[in-house]
Amino acid sequence: MPLQNKNKASSLRMRLMFGAAFTVSLFMLALFPALQQVFTSALEQSIEQRLAADASALISAASVSKGQLRMPEKLPDEEFDILPARQLGFIYDNKGSLLWRSRSSKNVNINYQPKYDGTQNHEFLRAQDSEGREFFIYDVEVDLLRGQSAYFSIVTMQPVSDYQAMYGNLRQQLYVWLCFALLLLLGFLWLGLGWGIRSLRSLSAELDDVEMGRRASLSDEHPRELLRLTRSLNRLLESERQQSERYRHSLDDLAHSLKTPLAVLQGVGEVLSTQPSNAEQVRTLEGQVNRMSQQISYQLQRARLRKSGLLRYQVKLKPLLDSLLEALDKVYRDKRVQVTPVFSAELRVPVEQGALLELLGNILENAYRLCINEIRISAQLTANGCELMVEDDGPGVPKHQRERILKRGERLDTQYPGQGIGTAVVKDIIDSYGGQLFVEDSVLGGAQFRIIFPLN
Amino acid sequence: MKLLVVEDEALLRHHLNTRLGEHGHVVDAVADAEEALGRIGEYTHDLAIVDLGLPGMSGLDLIRELRHQGKQFPILILTARGNWQNKVEGLAAGADDYLVKPFQFEELEARLNALLRRSSGFVQSTIGAGPLLLDLNRKQATLLDNPLALTAYEYRILEYLMRHHQQVVSKERLIEQLYPDDEERDPNVIEVLVGRLRRKLEGEACFKPIETVRGQGYLFTERCR
Repeated sequence: MPLQNKNKASSLRMRLMFGAAFTVSLFMLALFPALQQVFTSALEQSIEQRLAADASALISAASVSKGQLRMPEKLPDEEFDILPARQLGFIYDNKGSLLWRSRSSKNVNINYQPKYDGTQNHEFLRAQDSEGREFFIYDVEVDLLRGQSAYFSIVTMQPVSDYQAMYGNLRQQLYVWLCFALLLLLGFLWLGLGWGIRSLRSLSAELDDVEMGRRASLSDEHPRELLRLTRSLNRLLESERQQSERYRHSLDDLAHSLKTPLAVLQGVGEVLSTQPSNAEQVRTLEGQVNRMSQQISYQLQRARLRKSGLLRYQVKLKPLLDSLLEALDKVYRDKRVQVTPVFSAELRVPVEQGALLELLGNILENAYRLCINEIRISAQLTANGCELMVEDDGPGVPKHQRERILKRGERLDTQYPGQGIGTAVVKDIIDSYGGQLFVEDSVLGGAQFRIIFPLN
Repeated sequence: MKLLVVEDEALLRHHLNTRLGEHGHVVDAVADAEEALGRIGEYTHDLAIVDLGLPGMSGLDLIRELRHQGKQFPILILTARGNWQNKVEGLAAGADDYLVKPFQFEELEARLNALLRRSSGFVQSTIGAGPLLLDLNRKQATLLDNPLALTAYEYRILEYLMRHHQQVVSKERLIEQLYPDDEERDPNVIEVLVGRLRRKLEGEACFKPIETVRGQGYLFTERCR
């Protein structure tokens, strides 16, 4: 699968995922202080309201008798009596001197001085006591108490620590929920992206099928955005197929129309050679005919067997080899060659059918011609690729000729004129598939042609 | 031997016709598959040389048709293409060997002789029968190691009879071996040639391998190897 690269960053899904995760995290980070701000102000507002209610309770409990403030022994709100102090109350006169304090404020020595200015406004603020504890303070002025005019500052307080505990608790919860939401969001994103990318994966699978020759073209069952691409690819595939077909036909016609006249010339040469005086010219003629013929064969084979750009091949070796051996056995019937195949019946070679046939045909024909009576063909998949080996028990290839054997149009024996391009074609095919050819000594006593094709 | 040559290129056909004729074969040379099938129906051939790139019905189809009709003679493919796809297809269709154009005549001759030997069951390039030894490559007969002076026609008749040893061979078959066309078809010529051949074989070794089977033809009685 081309999409499943070892390098994760090159996967489209991972890229989209990283992008989305980054965006979502950034969004969450921005959301967090905003939420915190909203909550803080809501909380402080509720505390202010509560302190205002406490102040109202004190006001309703207080009374004035002979210009003196009187507070009942037992307040209706017990919170003002409980220690440790959670709810504190103070009453000051308009000159700022303390007239009354609740029992809960016993241990609190707060440095707060209300300023009575007669505006009847209230104030909400924070202050610290001598021990560094912080309190919310609500300060309201009254000028009328149960119908009598009075001038007092009513101050209620509440320790900030309560609020802080609540606030900490909320922040923690906010963290948990936001993280949970983030994970959930990323999970949905991952699934959603997978769903979106699945169409790319199915396209990739179809392309694999096309490359392996399991299907001729890509289907139309793709998202609209991809159809433009798949249709172009289909057109490309089709035109490549047609072109290679046309190419093959033209090459066949060209071979026929060039080589038959050469055969005629060859014949003419042979007739001329019956006159001894022509011997020199005839030798030249035949030499040139031979050279042209080899060049035509070689160039045509080369052109026809070039590797196609798009398709990858997987050709089953056994049926192809069977038909080839049957043909060769027929031609070399008298020789009764013993061929031993050593490979799995399922083995596939990553080379196009025609090219593989040409490759093996040329190598095996040499082996049939030169062997005494034994040929061994082995093939296997190794770590380096697909390894093919053809061995025979013939004379072998002398060391100094091994380099030459693989050169263009080079031939070692001149027994069959016009057919010496075999090994050069073999070398060309192997090169075009990025393979390697080794000419070695076989344990059978003759030559060993070892070919390694890289796997796709 | 009577050969069928199917080649659409007139010059090459003419060349093959001439050269094969010079080498002691009787040649039926035609330009296309339809004509070839006509000749096949009419005569008994010993071998066919078929060009794969024929106009109309292809050489490959011709070979299939010949095998379909039950013709057993060897078929040699001539092909300009020379790729293995072609060769394998041709051989699978029923051909016995192939030759890629352009070719040297010597090579064609060698392949033909190998196919003919094989089809008559002789693997060696010589056929022996008692004191008589036939060298098929040199077209030379020796009796008790002495070369026999045979004319081309006498040699052809002797080779044909020896190839078909212990079978009755009709005069018509022998005539086909000697003349490419219907003209000059005089059975008396065969009688005269066989008579001369017998005298030459009898000459020194009193070797009498050829019998006349009345009303049917001739029989080479000696077992050949």
